[in-house]
Amino acid sequence: MTEPAILELRCLSFRYPNGRLALRDISCRVASRERVAVVGPSGAGKSTLLMHCNGLLPSPPVQQDGEAQVFVNGIAVTKPHLRETRRQVGFLFQDPDDQLFCPTVRDDVAFGPLNLGLDQHEVLARVERGLASVGMSGFTARNPAELSTGERKRVCLAGVFACEPSVLVLDEPTSNLDPRARRQLLTILRAFAGTLLVATHDLDFVIDLCDRVLVLDDGQVQADGPTERILSDPLIMDRHGLEVPWRLRGR
Amino acid sequence: MSDSCSPDAGATASDTSLCHGLPADAKLSLTLLVVVVSGLIPLEHWPAQGLLLVAVFMALSLAGVTVRYLARRLALFLPALFVFGLSIPVASAEGLAWNWTLSLWLRCTVSFLAGLWLIHVLPLRELLSVLRRWHCPVVLIAMIGFMYRYVFILWDELRRLRSARDARDFGGASTWREWTISAQLIGLLLLRAMERAERTHRAMLARGWDGSIRSLDDDR
Repeated sequence: MTEPAILELRCLSFRYPNGRLALRDISCRVASRERVAVVGPSGAGKSTLLMHCNGLLPSPPVQQDGEAQVFVNGIAVTKPHLRETRRQVGFLFQDPDDQLFCPTVRDDVAFGPLNLGLDQHEVLARVERGLASVGMSGFTARNPAELSTGERKRVCLAGVFACEPSVLVLDEPTSNLDPRARRQLLTILRAFAGTLLVATHDLDFVIDLCDRVLVLDDGQVQADGPTERILSDPLIMDRHGLEVPWRLRGR
Repeated sequence: MSDSCSPDAGATASDTSLCHGLPADAKLSLTLLVVVVSGLIPLEHWPAQGLLLVAVFMALSLAGVTVRYLARRLALFLPALFVFGLSIPVASAEGLAWNWTLSLWLRCTVSFLAGLWLIHVLPLRELLSVLRRWHCPVVLIAMIGFMYRYVFILWDELRRLRSARDARDFGGASTWREWTISAQLIGLLLLRAMERAERTHRAMLARGWDGSIRSLDDDR
């Protein structure tokens, strides 16, 4: 029997205003607590796909049968439900400077919980928990400009954790991170108990974190399966501008 | 990398001086008082304006502002003020035009220095707290917060663009070409700022922003 999907895409297509067709007829289901990586060459549509999970791009036209194309926990990601779906889906952006817009770390982590309408005590408790979960408790009064890229990324994650999402969507989480910051991020994400959807070029990170891989190319899902099987298949990897990671070669 | 014209990080919690020890509300009130008084002193009482200028210089000295720091900031501000002031006698044939110009120069300089003093003695976080306590519009407070955050990012962006230009300049560009390239850099910076604004807006939406600006209470 199929497990209930926490995230479901049904025949999702999307065209940017400049005419470029970024996604074509994508269908997939992600079960609760599943860890899924989206890999593929640059321009394949990975970020576009992730943004749809949070309703950050204009809603695609509803299909002829009246069904929306993206669902979170059975709720359609359309304008009337955005508040609820965004509460459930946390989004980590590629560039931490896009996400850290408040003058202090505390204000930034509190931004999401305040928008959820929580009272000040609860917001502060969530700020503390969020920062503690990423090992940044002592940084509340700091200006994000004073932090390293790895620290900024962790503060971004704290801001997302503070909203207590059940699905975490990450766009290139390891870009510009040094090996130590990358390891720290990996540890934090392994400890996250919810569902993960990660778009990345870092295939070693995928091996360490995810149990399923979607290969996206030319706006379409080209392969979908267990991490090791997909990433160790030279035909799939080569055809879609990827390389079999060293760790999986010769298997 | 130090840069003589980089944005000012302003006061920090670790600064200590007589001025830094004043309550935050008093610092902002004093600054506003100086600006208002300077604007209200009649033209014929210019010695009082001069006294105010001396008082502001003394306050800056007490706050530990160095002459070098002041000189750098004034070097950016005074030329623009000078040109602006000259527009009065150029546009008006009245005999008092030069008096107006002198008065404008003095008043603006006093206000500018008072602002510099405030930046130096009041950390931005405290300034935002005071503005909240004074019931300033939340949109204004949020805009100051965003500006403080993004001025550094845009400055870094500009520095990267300049480095990229210098790496391919080979020292052979004429002055005219340098000006042209600088204008292109500024245009590019504007475009990148707009793109970043779009991405930041998405990041705000992703965390439930609905157009209302909410903030934490400062006494917590």
